[in-house]
Amino acid sequence: MEPKPPRSQGPSAWESVKDAFPFGIAPFLILLLTVVSGLFLLAVTVFHGPAEGKAGLSMWTFARQHYVAYEKARPSFERKYATRLDLQSVHGDAVTRRLRAAYWANLDLPDVVEVEISRAGSFFRGPEGGILFADITDFLTQPDPDHPQKRPLIDRIVKTRLSPYTHRGRIYGLPHDVHPVMLAYRADLFEQLGIDPNKLETWDDFLREGRRITVPEQRYLLNLSRSGSWAVEILLFQRAEPNSPAGYFDADGQLIMDNDKAVDLLTWYIPLVKGPGRIAADPGMFGQAFAKATQDGYTLCSFCPDWKTWGFQHDMPQLAGKMKLMPLPAVRKGGRRTSTWGGTMLGMTRHCRDRDLAWKLARHMYMNKDDLGERFRELNILPPFKDAWDNPAFHERRPYWCNQRLGTEYIRLADQTPPQYTSPFIQLAKSKMGSVVANCLSAYDPRRPAGLREVVRRELKAAADDIRRQMKRNPF
Amino acid sequence: MGKALPRALLYAALTLTGLLTLIPLVWLVACSVKGAEDFFRYTFFPPIGRLSVANFVGLFEQMPFLRLLMNSLFVAGATVMVQLFFSSLGGFALAKYEFRGKKVIMVVMLATMMIPAQVLLAPLYELICRMKLADTYPGLIVPGAVSVFGMFLFRQSMMQLPDELLQAGRIDGCSEFGLYWRIAIPISRPMIGAFCLIAFMGTWNSFLWPQIILHSKLHFTLPIALNQLVGLQRQDYGVLMAGTLLSILPVAALFLILQREFLSGLTAGAVKG
Amino acid sequence: MSRRRTGLFQLQHRYAPYLFVAPFLVLFCTFGLYPLVKSVVLSFFITSGPASRIFVGLDNFRFLFTDPDFGRACLNTAVFAAFSVFLQLPMSLGLALLLNRKDLRGRNLFRLCFFSPRLVGMVFVGVLFSLIFAARFGLLNVALHRLFGASLETDWLNTKPLIMPALVLTSLWMYVGFNMIYFLAALQNVDRTLYEAATVDGAGAWQQFWHVTLPGIKPVAIFVIILSTIGSFQLFELPYLMLGNSRGAGDAGLTIVMYLYENGFVTGDLGYASTIGWTLALGVLILAIGQMYFTGTWRKEP
Repeated sequence: MEPKPPRSQGPSAWESVKDAFPFGIAPFLILLLTVVSGLFLLAVTVFHGPAEGKAGLSMWTFARQHYVAYEKARPSFERKYATRLDLQSVHGDAVTRRLRAAYWANLDLPDVVEVEISRAGSFFRGPEGGILFADITDFLTQPDPDHPQKRPLIDRIVKTRLSPYTHRGRIYGLPHDVHPVMLAYRADLFEQLGIDPNKLETWDDFLREGRRITVPEQRYLLNLSRSGSWAVEILLFQRAEPNSPAGYFDADGQLIMDNDKAVDLLTWYIPLVKGPGRIAADPGMFGQAFAKATQDGYTLCSFCPDWKTWGFQHDMPQLAGKMKLMPLPAVRKGGRRTSTWGGTMLGMTRHCRDRDLAWKLARHMYMNKDDLGERFRELNILPPFKDAWDNPAFHERRPYWCNQRLGTEYIRLADQTPPQYTSPFIQLAKSKMGSVVANCLSAYDPRRPAGLREVVRRELKAAADDIRRQMKRNPF
Repeated sequence: MGKALPRALLYAALTLTGLLTLIPLVWLVACSVKGAEDFFRYTFFPPIGRLSVANFVGLFEQMPFLRLLMNSLFVAGATVMVQLFFSSLGGFALAKYEFRGKKVIMVVMLATMMIPAQVLLAPLYELICRMKLADTYPGLIVPGAVSVFGMFLFRQSMMQLPDELLQAGRIDGCSEFGLYWRIAIPISRPMIGAFCLIAFMGTWNSFLWPQIILHSKLHFTLPIALNQLVGLQRQDYGVLMAGTLLSILPVAALFLILQREFLSGLTAGAVKG
Repeated sequence: MSRRRTGLFQLQHRYAPYLFVAPFLVLFCTFGLYPLVKSVVLSFFITSGPASRIFVGLDNFRFLFTDPDFGRACLNTAVFAAFSVFLQLPMSLGLALLLNRKDLRGRNLFRLCFFSPRLVGMVFVGVLFSLIFAARFGLLNVALHRLFGASLETDWLNTKPLIMPALVLTSLWMYVGFNMIYFLAALQNVDRTLYEAATVDGAGAWQQFWHVTLPGIKPVAIFVIILSTIGSFQLFELPYLMLGNSRGAGDAGLTIVMYLYENGFVTGDLGYASTIGWTLALGVLILAIGQMYFTGTWRKEP
């Protein structure tokens, strides 16, 4: 319906545009946007320049803070070994997906990759039963070529931190951290309320004090989850004993999340968050809600592994000089006073051609004493390499924590850290545990506490059986 | 039924519903201009003196927002352009021509419209990976350029074109493609406008497919990047709300410019649907 | 018309349609049909990678039908779909009826206002409403607390029985306005003379509604119902985002497509994921056909 404009007057610019692009104003706008953004992206890509030569090694990390630290250490590595390192920061979920995509289409696999503990398990199954990561047991058990007189590395690491990355006796990942769990508490409020942390040696002591100072809807002693699994996990791992494992899986990869220890724990746990004997609330463990709860004194204590201390210092600066750390109360007098939460490993992928160079990279990034000290000052994360611990950076007093020596406290508990075992089904197990907690909570009737144990047993078994069905079915 | 009281009730009901509808959006704006300390103190807006841009600053610090915006714009725009061209061309053919296989094509297309798209997720992912298109722009745009909905829409609307017009064009020496370009398209402008907006909105907000395909941070579109703000380690609500607000603006702007066309195109589609 | 032109013309006219549909067809077959067929094939395997797949025939389906997680997903999805059709659509219709007065002032403004939630993509709605439903500072809790003295502690998204209501409320907010537009258009197309005739016959408001309005909007209503049903069975992004990439307390937020996603992209078994997908597709197809049959679509001319 657009007849050619009369030849007598020259077509106006708008008319000729309309002629050339008949679709109308909306598509025109969109086309404009597309071209502009396309040019922008082109410019940005060109600006970043083509890769400067082929990298000798590629490494992925998912935590921004780790990335910053490794970037700092990169130049010295490149100089020392005359090779280029391609360091990439990839988001946590994307690491899993990219690694999986690598199976499907041989996309670029990195040589070395950091993987979080709950995700590592899914790579312990692979095509034809193979594992994505290279076996590094020999690197760990053989003497160090640079220091032949020292004991092999495996004797100088906190042994339990190798457990999540061990499969059938062989080790596939180098642990990044220890992550012992303590309780962070409001020292000022403890003093006000007359609670002596030194007297809280067992959970019984703790509960007693908890009941004394609880004010419903206003003040609780502990921060525990009502629907997620993280709190239950921490408490469950604490209960592990050499002949009596506790956790999701045991060392052989068998599912044990419905064993007696788990039933005992959950039966003890539920009344702590619901009912008249309640001593805990659930404002979450992160973000503004958690900060507000801690500042208001809504929850006085919360689980605090080494990595979480940074969050306190950063999000709640006004609590400086009021927070302190104490070991977890033990289950029985003299028992283990810590647990573990989270973790990261460094793995070499099977694709990596130069394993020796990759191992040198691992050592450079993970085991440099000075770097580790610096990182501890910034992030408070305790590495599992005991040689590094005599660096004075680990024993400085921290004003935020009422002048406690942060590193010393965590180091003292490091050897007690319980083992965690992993499996390809670990994420499913965690998600199911969260459901179990929520279900038991709603089924719990404080007026009839005796029935709880049965409910817990039933729920745990149902969840575990679901997982076992899947495990039995899938041979990979 | 034109008495005063029912009319007042009518307006009251409508206004109340309207307010309820708008409140979450107002809250969104309010949350994005509140500083972290004030987040709990004020339900909606803080007093004028305490309005803060800290969230927006934090947003730009934590992610390359401009780059993400451009990613989203490029992907949405390119997808819509390709969809528009292919669907209108194909729709034109289906509307105005008879040819072998036409019935088969239409039946197959109709059948696939019934099937939920998520069925395709898994094998499409495998295909894209094999084609080495994972984590690339074409990997997003090309599969997205298939729009069965568009084909049917344009077929429907182009069936209304008077055949005489096309014949006249042919007599004038117009090529078949010229018929499409010079006659069919300009007449279908309203429908094109509506389609563009729907398609743009759909691609702009699409989350599932890009999340699966895109791996590297620099290629992310806005929905994916914002979703990552709610991670395990940090939950910064103010920044999240600021990001959400900024992400909604382009679509809202486009809609405001094109609303008349859009709403009429939508209703036309419904009545004939 | 010269002879040369005739020849070229005929040629063009014959082959033009094929060329015109070709671009679409190529893409459609590559990215639409091929994965579709592939997924049917995949649904008969257990996989963990392209090199590792075992043929199990119909065993995937057998396992699916005895899978309690799948049962939960079906239940959740069906409940949501029921609310979508039986709660949301009447509300849309009601709103449309209210807006349908000729003498209403500001109708365009109201229409715009009710439509605006649709502009916000599902992704962003999920994020926004996950905060609105948050405990202690979420908008909903604060409002209920101020108006009715309700507890601030209600953690909607972490309490098993409250998750589905939260999802339903959110989808109401998103879609009532959108479907209202359809109904409004349909209402405006109902022949006014029918109403006049009905009034002459002495029919009251309710009877007019039942006998004139409803039949008049029937085609659009059916269209909307089917669209709503198909859409709600595909529910995934909303709960995934509102519940923070998880299933929700007690699996209350687990939908069929979420289960598909988990199996395909978290656990890595694309074969089982395809099984879930095709079961869903067949189910929805049957449902849609059933709906069309029972509302008499087949009796009319297509």
